[in-house]
Amino acid sequence: MKRIVRNPDVLWREEDDAMEEAARLLEQGEDAAEIGTAILFADGTMVTLNLLGTEIWKRCEGRSEEEIIAELLDEFDVELDILKNDVSAFLDELAGKRYISYV
Amino acid sequence: MSEPVLKAPITINWALNNSCNFSCRHCYSRVDNGDELDGATLKECLTRCAKAGVMAVNFGGGEPLLRSDILEIARHAADAGFRVSMNSNGYLIDPRKAAELKAAGFAKIGISIDSHIPEVHDKFRGVAGSHIKALAALDNLSNTGIKTSISTVICTFNFDTIDDLILMAKAHGASQLNFHNFKCSGLGMANKDELDLAPEQWKNFYREAMQRKVATKDLDISLDDPIIASLGMRDETAMVKGSVCGKLSLNIKSNGDITPCGFIPAVIGNIVKDDLKEVWRNSQVLDKLRNKTPQGKCASCSDYADCLGGCSARALAMTGDFNNPDPHCWVE
Repeated sequence: MKRIVRNPDVLWREEDDAMEEAARLLEQGEDAAEIGTAILFADGTMVTLNLLGTEIWKRCEGRSEEEIIAELLDEFDVELDILKNDVSAFLDELAGKRYISYV
Repeated sequence: MSEPVLKAPITINWALNNSCNFSCRHCYSRVDNGDELDGATLKECLTRCAKAGVMAVNFGGGEPLLRSDILEIARHAADAGFRVSMNSNGYLIDPRKAAELKAAGFAKIGISIDSHIPEVHDKFRGVAGSHIKALAALDNLSNTGIKTSISTVICTFNFDTIDDLILMAKAHGASQLNFHNFKCSGLGMANKDELDLAPEQWKNFYREAMQRKVATKDLDISLDDPIIASLGMRDETAMVKGSVCGKLSLNIKSNGDITPCGFIPAVIGNIVKDDLKEVWRNSQVLDKLRNKTPQGKCASCSDYADCLGGCSARALAMTGDFNNPDPHCWVE
């Protein structure tokens, strides 16, 4: 099973105000997918992540894709197939930008 | 997805000193005074910036290697969690200094080189032998594993030497070649008639540079000028529209004064006395830079949404208002 590792050159942080706003929307049953809650920064490029992306990124350190999906399934109210597709697409994008790799 | 309202700058460009062993004819910092923060104060400020969420610090000057405590300061910054980089003229980076810089935690160092022709570079920088030492610095740093870049300020004597500059960068292992637009600040203003290009020349330069950027796979060619948006060839790696100053980064002068960028002289706080996040969030100057009002030809320009008036520093320097069109803009 391939494990995901972050590119050590990628800097990242969560954005406190945006995290609070996303949490508030979710509590009210609203969509928070458009709220950027974290940023990744490497060599002059920047990527903004929403809450799900942030949670995936936080787990991209030694876990496999399957393990990440299993963890998120416990945490988020989402169907497995949808989650699988979202996680897979997101990891593909990060790998394409060389923000992660598989070992 | 919406861009987050960043809680703090991503990176800070931090002038550690104003002293310099060179006398470059476009230097922006010769007009600054010589006040410098002492090492202990600097370290305390760096710690506070790291806690505020700043992720990267890029030291500059003056020539930062003239500070005797540069290694100690860099080590402190790296230990605080920063990605530490520096801009230098390279004159003092022999193999031993390169190893010391690596040990101090530098991840990347940019060397300023203005021409592939030694005599041209040396004359511009005012120091004989500076070109060969700058190239040696690139080699010495690469040998230690520190990533290197070349910073070239585009002006009248180098705008038509893109291919030569690329070859030079590749030959010395640089990972990035930064083509900086000419700023009319400090000595750059005094010498602009001799050094700055006409708008049409900028247009032609950027067309060619963007073509080389696309075609060059083993070297990152960076163009930091938002006015290229009007060529329909916008740099896809650009992180924000318009200038990054005050949106992703801030500048700190050697005396601790905070400015939106090194080329905008508006002091919006002081890193010793003021809370960085407070300045970042509440500065009226930053608010105006982040929400510019198009003036003149910008008001009817279809590219304004992407370029946001171009370089705010240049517009401010040349017209007194950063909302005015970038004087380099070629759009009629």
